[in-house]
Amino acid sequence: MKWKKADVAQYLEAKEYIDTILIPLIPYQMTGDTELEKNAFQNELTSVLANELEKELTGRIMLTPTYNYVKAADREEEVNRIHSWIEEIQQQPFPHIFLLTLDSSWKKHEQALDGTLLWLPGMKSGDLHSAEMHRFIRDQVEQVSELIRSYW
Amino acid sequence: MSEKKQQVSRRQFLNYTLTGVGGFMAAGMLAPMLRMAVDPVLQESGHGDLTNVSLAVEDITTDPQRIDWKVKQVDGWYESEVNRSAWVFKDENDEIQAFSPICKHLGCVVSWEGSDEYPDQFYCPCHDGRYYKDGTNVPGTPPLQPLDVYEQEVRDGMLFLGDAVPREGA
Repeated sequence: MKWKKADVAQYLEAKEYIDTILIPLIPYQMTGDTELEKNAFQNELTSVLANELEKELTGRIMLTPTYNYVKAADREEEVNRIHSWIEEIQQQPFPHIFLLTLDSSWKKHEQALDGTLLWLPGMKSGDLHSAEMHRFIRDQVEQVSELIRSYW
Repeated sequence: MSEKKQQVSRRQFLNYTLTGVGGFMAAGMLAPMLRMAVDPVLQESGHGDLTNVSLAVEDITTDPQRIDWKVKQVDGWYESEVNRSAWVFKDENDEIQAFSPICKHLGCVVSWEGSDEYPDQFYCPCHDGRYYKDGTNVPGTPPLQPLDVYEQEVRDGMLFLGDAVPREGA
């Protein structure tokens, strides 16, 4: 399910079946010409992965809007901000919360996070529409959805 | 001599011209009406466009295999490529079956023998929905309808698939 009217209407009807939240964490930064392309690509790749995961497990996962943050921001502050999201989410019965990111800096703060961090080493560049990338994404999605299923 | 030349009088000439012009005008008005009346006959059959899914018929086995392909879709003002998938196999009557992998419960993706506990069934990982090999939902599991079936056609030994069509509930 996505944060869309039709999906949310379905969620309201079938609440007891949808118990998992997926939040994509995507960094954003304008400084440093050399990093721009890499960051933008990371953004695209994370969105594609999140969308594909959602498609695979639509009936049990709700994909939230992307959590964006400035890359250089203080992680502890960001952890607090994420927690305010999670607290808010838990107004509804969602026992499973997954945070999907390609940004390795979250790995260090994993313990402090109130959800399960899914950090994937992505790719720095490439063509999102190429056949190899397609296969790569399919494989990743398959493995990650298996991981998510093991938590259910 | 002069009488012979004037075979068409002015009155006749005007009559002919007016009838001719009037006839054209009437035809111009009637043709669209007629066309509207017989329109359903002229329309192409309601099938969506079938797409070549790059699978040769001889490669289809009795074991369901997952195939993915892309179709162009115009949705409002977005024209986009949409990924579609299907489970394709030959049933015991040697007929090709192409099922949509979308679970009829809440839309997850089902897979053939997705659970070790239930061989020979389609399995939905989200809420343990199950379907028999012919696509019918296993009673007692969450889905209430069989899997959708793709419109299909075989041209030159290749499989073409169209839209997924829902079936009656079991």
